[in-house]
Formats: sequence, structure tokens, C-alpha cells
Amino acid sequence: MRRAAGVLWAMLLSGPAAAARQSVIHPAGEDAALVAGLFWWLLGGAVLLWLLMNGLFLYLTRLNPVPLSRRLAEMLIIGGGVLLPTVVLAVLLGVTLQKIPMHMRPGDGLRVHVTGEEWWWRVEYWPEGADAPIVSANEIRLPAGQRTDVTLGSARVIHSFWIPALGGKLDMFPGRETRMSLLPQIPGTYRGQCAEFCGLSHALMAFEAVVMEPADFQAWLTAQAAPALPPADARAARGRAVFFAEGCGGCHAIRGTAATAGAGPDLTHLGSRTTLASATLPMTEAALAEWIADPESAKPGALMPGYGHLSGAELGDLAHYLKGLR
Amino acid sequence: MTGPADRLRPDEEEKTIAEESSSLWLLVVSPTVWAVHFAASYAITSLACVKFPDLLGVGGLQWIIGALTGLALAAILATALRSWRQWDFLEDYDHIHHRPRSEDRHEFLGHAAFLLSVVSFIGTVYVALPVWLTGTC
Amino acid sequence: MSADTTHILAPQGPYPPGPEMLNAPVDPQWSRESGARLRAVWAQPRGLRYWSAVNNSEVGQWYAMLCFGFMLAAGVLALLMRVQLAVPGNDFLSADRFNQFFTMHGSAMMFLFAVPMFEAIAILLLPAFLGARDMPFPRLSAYGFWCFAIGGTFVFGSVFFGAAPDSGWFMYPPLATQSEGIGADIWLLGLSFIEVSSIAAAVELIVGVLKCRPPGMRINLMPLYAWYVLVVGAMILFAFPPLIAGDFLFELERSFDWPFFDPERGGDPMLWQHLFWIFGHPEVYIIFLPSIAIAAMIVPTAAGRPIVGYSWIVLSAVAVGFLSFGLWVHHMFTTGLPAISLGFFSAASEAVVIPTGVQLFAFLATLMAGRVRMSVPMLYIAGALAIFTCGGLTGIMVALVPFDRQVHDTYFIVAHLHYTLFGGMVFPVMAGVIYFYPFIRKKMMSPRLGKWAFWLVFTGFNLCFLPMHLTGLQGMPRRVYTYPDLDALNWGWLNMLSTAGAFVMAAGFAVFLWDVIRPKGRDAAAPRNPWGGGTLEWTHDVPEDPGWGVRSIPYITSRYPLWQQEGLLERMDAGGCYLGDAPEGLRETLITTVLDARPILVQRVTGPTWITLAAAGFTGGLFILPVFKLYWPALACGAGAMAAILWWLWRDTARPPEAARKPVGLGLSLPLYATGPASVGWWGMFITMLGDMTAFASLVFGFFFYWTAGDDFPLPGAGHGQPVLCGLAAACYGGGWAAMRLARGWNRGGRVGRARLARAAAPVLALAGALAMAGAVWLPGLDPASHVYPAMLWAFAVWTVVHSVPGLVMPLYCLAGSLRGKLTPAHDADLWNCTLYWHFLLITALVSAAVLGPIPRLM
Repeated sequence: MRRAAGVLWAMLLSGPAAAARQSVIHPAGEDAALVAGLFWWLLGGAVLLWLLMNGLFLYLTRLNPVPLSRRLAEMLIIGGGVLLPTVVLAVLLGVTLQKIPMHMRPGDGLRVHVTGEEWWWRVEYWPEGADAPIVSANEIRLPAGQRTDVTLGSARVIHSFWIPALGGKLDMFPGRETRMSLLPQIPGTYRGQCAEFCGLSHALMAFEAVVMEPADFQAWLTAQAAPALPPADARAARGRAVFFAEGCGGCHAIRGTAATAGAGPDLTHLGSRTTLASATLPMTEAALAEWIADPESAKPGALMPGYGHLSGAELGDLAHYLKGLR
Repeated sequence: MTGPADRLRPDEEEKTIAEESSSLWLLVVSPTVWAVHFAASYAITSLACVKFPDLLGVGGLQWIIGALTGLALAAILATALRSWRQWDFLEDYDHIHHRPRSEDRHEFLGHAAFLLSVVSFIGTVYVALPVWLTGTC
Repeated sequence: MSADTTHILAPQGPYPPGPEMLNAPVDPQWSRESGARLRAVWAQPRGLRYWSAVNNSEVGQWYAMLCFGFMLAAGVLALLMRVQLAVPGNDFLSADRFNQFFTMHGSAMMFLFAVPMFEAIAILLLPAFLGARDMPFPRLSAYGFWCFAIGGTFVFGSVFFGAAPDSGWFMYPPLATQSEGIGADIWLLGLSFIEVSSIAAAVELIVGVLKCRPPGMRINLMPLYAWYVLVVGAMILFAFPPLIAGDFLFELERSFDWPFFDPERGGDPMLWQHLFWIFGHPEVYIIFLPSIAIAAMIVPTAAGRPIVGYSWIVLSAVAVGFLSFGLWVHHMFTTGLPAISLGFFSAASEAVVIPTGVQLFAFLATLMAGRVRMSVPMLYIAGALAIFTCGGLTGIMVALVPFDRQVHDTYFIVAHLHYTLFGGMVFPVMAGVIYFYPFIRKKMMSPRLGKWAFWLVFTGFNLCFLPMHLTGLQGMPRRVYTYPDLDALNWGWLNMLSTAGAFVMAAGFAVFLWDVIRPKGRDAAAPRNPWGGGTLEWTHDVPEDPGWGVRSIPYITSRYPLWQQEGLLERMDAGGCYLGDAPEGLRETLITTVLDARPILVQRVTGPTWITLAAAGFTGGLFILPVFKLYWPALACGAGAMAAILWWLWRDTARPPEAARKPVGLGLSLPLYATGPASVGWWGMFITMLGDMTAFASLVFGFFFYWTAGDDFPLPGAGHGQPVLCGLAAACYGGGWAAMRLARGWNRGGRVGRARLARAAAPVLALAGALAMAGAVWLPGLDPASHVYPAMLWAFAVWTVVHSVPGLVMPLYCLAGSLRGKLTPAHDADLWNCTLYWHFLLITALVSAAVLGPIPRLM
């Protein structure tokens, strides 16, 4: 019976817990774990106080609506209105005020700089001592067990960077850098999302946050630093030709090719990412073709123009090429 | 339509409780001290943390805001004392003040100002906590 | 505050009235005749002219019904949004439409429902609680209402044209400053316009509470509702002006590209966030306190005894009023401010729980000490308590910085804020509607429908918003028009529940609305005091009451006169208290002293007129036309508004009375004219200018904010204001002020000619000062579009020059009054009020001159 209740409770809270990848109460990092732990205490206390207050009201109005002593009533004001909250709140402040700077602790070396764009994420990895960043987009990978510095900026409007499973959010401003750090603990794939309303497609500005074992992370980062792979087959080569013929390099960079522009997301290792269009579409060739043909329908207001004039074959080739950029 | 308690005798209108001698302003003294302390703490912290990060340091900030808090609490205590006297609770144990007399009005204002001082005191202490507990910009 | 001889004549006759006077019989024939005369004076205009009424009972009802209408409309937007969010990946609404809807839902609920609803209810009820005949400035209420009606219709109407603002009700720049279309301008200008009516109401209500109480109602006997209104009025004065200052800067950026919030040119979007939330957080309490005030009137009636802890409730109202100004940064915990700064606001946000708790426990204590009779309004109060405590407890959670950094801008906050607003505002107001319905309509609302509505709204509300806590904890951000169908998120079933709850709630509101508007011709008339309340509003006898409020204004000796003062009602009805007659055929109410409510003056209040509607129409043009870049017609409308207001003041205010004093009943004779601090007009001006000063102080805050936050303010190498002209401007304004001050003394001393000369000099000096101020930024070639520093200097200059216009017109108005016999040495109220304005103008001008010239040179 108790067990069944426990399962029901867990269901209510999250659905299958293993699947909750954007949840404050399923923490996978130090900062998030602290808040989740705090929350259960807060919830317990709140439920207790709520029952007390409303139980008293019910008692006074329904169960026993006869006058009680005025003196008792006045004691209630002093006790319930002043003494109790003063003590409870002082304790809460005592516990949490110390924790305010928690997310500002310095990291262990790696810095990730994220810039909010409309509506995608420009991501730069700055390993300790690096002179130039390793550029990526729309996906964040972090090593487990290490505290990583996260610096934030924005191109035009305010966004907010948030990976609930790892820690609290921080706003991203144009013209100003904000910083925090994150200490992920459990490897896995989590989800982050922009939390500050930023215009038409605010709802579609998400990303996957992949926490990896440090060694795996190192290997991945080394691979990301490398230039793009050449086309693996004839179809990819045709796709690459379409890429340049259509002027895609006017906005996007594919390192190791003539495409070096920075207006749109860096595509050097696009195929290695888990999602497309800031976690709006799956990373499949079909989705890529669909996106290129008509970005507007997947993401209203997207700055990328549609390439619906391309033939199905051209779109397919282009998607094949891009998907091959691992 | 008027009971005996409502009848005003001129001798009750003592000078100390004439309308001119009490005022609504007493009510807002303590909360205003809280507000000034709050605004000053915020302004000084902004200056110390953002504008001149090298000038003062957190230690200096703690000293300055600690001193400010001491001053504010002293001012609130003084107001509390003055309003406690105006309330004059121990004289007649009146804390209801519902009669139509100048004395009730006078003591009511004292009473309310006293209670406001209590809350302002707690508020000021709360606001001083972060300087010590948070302890960093 | 006391009656001093320079401002007002002393009353004559006995006060307070002795029992023998109050028990003396009233001549029935006189009672009938005087009643008829009074009725004729207060009769409402009929037919189309009904809409020219200015009486508080009419204006208050229009106001309340319009707010209710806006609430329903904004609620429909919410339902449409809930349909869109019911399932993942829905395409019922486009992103653009959804963004307009949630922006308008928030803006309308706040600016077109919650705040004006307070004003509406207060205008409707306050005079009744105080036994006053009307508000001190009836035409100001009417003007405020028409401004609200025009502005609200304009703002909300934009939804139907797909042109509504779409950047959120908080309008954060740079998103909102750079947004295309006219939506953002509609928001800024339309709502600034409505803020004018809020401030008008605040002025009115503060003066009403302080000066229009019935004789004997000392400050310790005042109904708690009046205390709350006083506190909330003061809060409006300090909370709305920062937003007006912010709107001013914002619109200058949108219209003329002055870069206040553009980081590329030294601006800072954070300044808007500060100004917006300095308004935005107190605003929450501006909504909450008056609603809890309604509960403070219902609870004692239900308990059948006076409130327990009167002083405690006063404490809590005043303390909440203050503390609510120290919370604003808790909306900005994720902006990267220094940790200690966040700590201050976290601490203050927790501190405000204490007075709020005191308030609730005082109600519980009253119920504890009384014999409780549950009624339908009490059912709503119970629901309010259940919901509000939940919202308050989650409020304690989100005031903790680490927790807020997780749930900020998620559905957890959506749940939290709706719990506080439904518990703190919607349910108490619904309780109030049911409770006060017989006061207004002389019929009861149906208890059966009331219970149905309650349970539908209560169940639907919890079904809708309780799951949202969990939705937020599971990571769903606010203001998203859609969400993906991922197992990893699993938000679908929670959102479906919320949508279902929203429709249940809507059904409850439909039942409630039907109960309000259904024809009740067959229902029995409600008794005069159906709930057995003890306060003065239940002395109103609706069918007999043409709008006078009470037949005669009583002498009060207790907090609950109907419970504690025997025979009071009969005497009032017979006309045997104060102002039971209107022999001159003029509308009148009593003005009393602030603390002890000793009667000092008979105030003539204004009657029906179209001029308020005209003034509001022109004011509307002034604010609305710039949306369409029609600046010259807008200025013409501004001139029209000023002309209309001058006409209204000239015709009907501060005219020398036909006699020095008149008998007001019970042997008392009161003066008919007051000037300076003894007059309500002076207090109206003083309070208005306090609000104006707050807006100006916000500009000064902005100046120092840029200095603190940035390295390039003042811009190195940039020019400053021209120093000689700054000095000249200061001198001119100083001279103008001195002229006004001297004119006041000379006029009083009978040197009328000299006073007129001085009054003629003041406008010239105001004009010269304004020119010098403009020259100080013009001549050095400061380009306001180049950087925020010159833009800020220009903003100060513009602010001062605009304020010089009334400074220029007012002396001329006084001069004309002097020439036409409206203003005499003994009747100089206009002169006092205009001089008072000049005090504030002088402060504005001197600070502006300092900010333009010397201060940046020192920085």
C-alpha cells in the first residue's frame, strides 16, 4: 500500500522520473541538487502552515462558531502574526542567504561562453589557456564532476540561460557579460531552454545539455576543434556544391571550407549534434531538408530564408552533406 | 444617541493630547528609517561592488553598513520609546482606543507607531543580514 | 492641518453637539421641505445627460462595470491561450497572436482591471463609509473615469486589429524598444494615459480620507477600509510615477531614437527593469490591500463584533505599504546583480510576510472572538484565505534567491502569482460585490447562484493553477506559445488539466456575471442593512437616495455607529444632523480636520457637466495621437485639454461665496471658503505634486544609475550643459518663484496692483527660464541620439520645459481671476495653489540646472 502510494506520488510529480530531463526536482548537478533538497523542506513546511491556517479558519467558522476569549484572540495575532513568522523567516534567510553566491564560484578551468541569438545559441568552448574558442551552437556539452565557468552574452535582446537539471538560470544581456558556473554530477542528456521572453519564437529556443565523463568530453572537444570532414560520398559532394551555389556560406561557417561567416550557427560538426534548430527538430536528413526548405514553418520569425525553390533532390543532397558533418 | 463615555469634558482635552500635538507623521518615522537604511545599503553596495570594486572591499562594506544599521536601529528604538510613552499602556492598559476622546486618538497613534517600530526593527535586522551572511559581491 | 485664521474663518456655534441637541426633535415639516430641496440639488441628470453625471455613485458604478468588462475580455484571452497550450505542438494560435494575447492578458488584468477596480470601488464606497455626500473633487473622478474609458478601449481594442503590444506586460527593452509596429507605442502611451487617471484617483481618495470624514470620526474611529485607502493612495503616488518616468524615456527612445536602453550607445536595459519593478511590485500590494480592506469590512459583520486588533491592522497596512517598495529586485534575481544586493531584496521580501500575516491573523482573531454567521460573502472570504495562504507560502519560497533562480519565469511563478491575485484580489472583490450589491441595487444576489459560482470558480481555479506549480518545477518556462511532445518533458497532461480547469472557472464567472446582471424586478427588495453591518454605508437608503449618500451627515462617536450609537439612523433620516438642507441649491459636503474630524468648512462640490468628458477626450488625443506620429495634432489636443480644464476650474471652483458662513445644523455655522492648507484644493495640488516629484526623482535616479552602472557616463570628452545658461535658467525660475510668493503676500495685504504686476512677471520669467534651459542643451550641440549622456541631459531639459507650461499659465489664470473679481485679497485660494505649484517647479528647475551644468563636471 505504502509502496503503491510512493509510486503514484512519483508519477504525479514527474511521470517516469528517468525521462524528466528538464526538471528542477530531478537534479543532476550540485547547484540543482541543493535547490531540490531545499524545495522538499519548503514544501513540507508550507503544507503544514497552510493546514494550520485554514484548519483554524474552518474550526472557527464551522466547527465551533462560538465566541472564544478575546485575550486568546490577541495572543493569536502576536504569536501567529509576529513571533512565528519572524523566527521561521530568520531561519530560512540564514540558510539561503549564504547560498546566493553559490553559482558564482570559480570553475576548474574550462569556460563556456554562450551568446543568445534570435532564436538559437552560439556556443564557444574556452579550455584553460586557449587563445581561440572552439565554436559550436545549440548544444552544450559539459564534463561531469568538474565546475565549468559559464559566461553569457546576447546579440540583441535579453535571453536567459537555464538547464534546470544542473542549476538556476541567469539572464543574457546585449552589451554586458554575466557569469556563473555549473557542476554537473550525473552524465546524461538534459534539456535547457531560454527562460526570458525574447520575441516571436521564444518557445522554440531550447538546447540539449550533454554531461559526459571527463575523458569522453576531452575526446569530443578535440574532435570539435578539428575542421569539417570532407564529403564522404558523391551525394554529399553534390550537397556541398548546392551549399556553396546557394550562398549558404554567406551566413554559416564550415571550418575547413570557404564558408567562414558567423551570422548563423556554425555547421562544422552539425551532424554530431543531437537536435536541429535549437532543439526544435530531430537531427535527421528529412528534418534538415524540411528546415532548409521552410524555416518559417518550424520557427516563426527565423532569420534564415527558405530554400523552397530547391528541388527535392537538391534538398536531399544538401541535407545528406550536412548530416555527414560529424 | 450618545453614551456617558462619549461626553467630552473640557478638562479631558489636556494640552498634551490636543490635536496639534499628535500627528500622523509619527506613524511613518520608523518605516521611513527602515526605508532610508534599505536604500542606503543598496546604494552603497552598488557603489562598492560595481562602480568602485577596488576601493572598499566587502570588509569595508560590512563596516559601513554595520554602522548604518546600528544608527537605524537606534533611531527606531528611540521612536519606539517615544510612541510607547504616547501609547501610555501601563497607565490604563488600553489597547483598543475605540472611544471618541482625544486621549484615545493620542494613544492609538502611539500604539500603532509602536507596533510599526517593532516591525521596522525586524525588517532592518533582516536587511542587514545579507551583508554578513552572503558576504560577497 | 488645524483651522488657522490666515486660511479659514473659525466655526461658530457649539461643537461637539451635546446629547440634548442630538435628542431634540426635528420639525417634520422642515424635514420634508429640506429633504425635497436636497433631493433636487443631488438629482441625477436624466436621458442622454445622464452621462454628464459626476456623482461618485454613478461614476463609481460605470468605473466598476467597465473594469469588470475588461476583466472578462482579458479572461477570454486567457481561455484562448489555454486552448493553445492544452496539447503539445498545437497550432490553434500563431506565435504572434499568442504573444499579443499574453501581453494583453497581463496588461489588461493589471492596468484595466485590478488597479482601476480598486479606484472604482473606492470611489463608489469611500464616501459611504465616511458619511460624505461625494468625493471632494467629483469632476476629477469623472475626468479620471473618462480617461480610463478612452485609454482602456484604445489599448484593449488593438487586439482586434492584430496590432496589440507583443513584448510582455513588462515591456523589457531592447525587445520592446526595437519591436516593429505600433504595439509598444500603444502600450506606453495608452497606459501612461491610464496612469493619469490612477493618480487622479489617488489624489481624490487621500484627500477624501483625510478631510471628508463626518464630524467626530477621529482617526482612531475611522473604518479600516479608509485606512487601507489612505495607504494605497500614498503607494500609488510613489509607485506609478517611476513607471511614468520610465515610459517617458522609453517613448523618447522609440520616437526619437534617444538611446536610453540601447547598450551600444551607453544605454542600459536594466534601468527600465528597475523603474518598471519599482512600480510593479508595490502595484501588487496596491491591488491586494484594498481587496483585503473589503474583507476587513465583511469579517466583523460576519463575526457580529468589532474587529480585534484595529491598531494591528493599521500597522500591517502601513508596514506593507512601506516594505512593498523594498521588494522590486526580487523580479530581477536572475539578472546578475551583486549577491549582497540580491540578499537585501530577499530579506525585505521575507519581512513583508510579517505584516501580511498580522493582517490575516487579525481576521482569524476577530472570528475567534465573535459568534460567526457564515454567509455567501464569507464563503468567498474562506476561499480567498485558502488560496491566498497558498500563494503567500509559495511567495516565501520564491523570495529565496537560490530557489527563485530555478523557478523564475516558469509556470511555478504563473501559479504563484495567480494564487496571490485570486486569493488577494479576485475572491475578496467577488465577496465584496455580493456583500455590497444590496447597497447599490437594493436587491440581493442569489445565494444559490453565488454558491454555484463559488464552487465552480474555486474548483476550476485549483484545477487550473495547482498543477502549474509542478509544470514549472518540471521546467516549463512562461510565455511559450507551444511546447514539444517529448517524453523527456511530459508537460502535456498537466497542461490539459490546467486547460480543463480554466473552462470550469470560466463557467463559474459566467454564473456570477449572470447573477450580477440578471433582471431582479421580481425579487423582494433587500432590507436596508441586510447583513447587519455596523458601519455608515448601511445608512444609505437606496431608492430614496438620489445621490446624496446620506440624508444628513451624522456626528460619529464610535467605530461601528450602527451598532453602538442608538437612534443615529432615525436622526440622520430626519435630516437632523449636519447639512440636512440645501437652501442655496448647491451641492455641499463637510470638510473636517485630519486627526479629530472637527468640522471646519462647507465645501461646495461640483455638479453634472460635459466638460470633464471634453477634457478627457482632448487628453486622450494628447496621448493617443503620438502613437500614429501625429505630433502636431497631439499638441493641439494638449492645448484643448488645458483649455477645457481651465474653463472647468474658472467656472465652478474657488468662487467667492455669497456669505462668509452658513448654518449647517445643530447650531453650528461653518465658513464657506478656505484657502491654503485649510482648503481641499491645496491638498489636491500638494499630493499631485508629490507624485510629480517622485517621477522627477526617478529621472534623477536614472542619471545616477547610469553613472554607477557604466564607465562612460558622463561620456568622456562630451560637452555638458552650457554653464551660463544653466545659471540663467536657475535665476529665472528663482525669480518667477519669488514673484509668485510676493504676489501672494501683496494680494493678501491688499496691494492688489503690485500683486498683479508680480503675477504678470512670473510667466515672463517662466518663459525665459524655459528658453535658457533649452538653450543650455541646444547651444553646445549635444546630440541626444548619439549617446545616453546627452540624451539624459535633453530629457531633463524637456521635463523642465514641459513643467514650465503650467507655471506660465497659472499666474495668468490668477491675474485674470484678480481682474474679474474671482480672486480677491480675502479669497485667494487659486493664488495659494499656484504658488504651491511654483515651489515644486522651482525644485525641478534647480535640480535640472544642477544636473545639466555643475554636477557632471564634478563627476
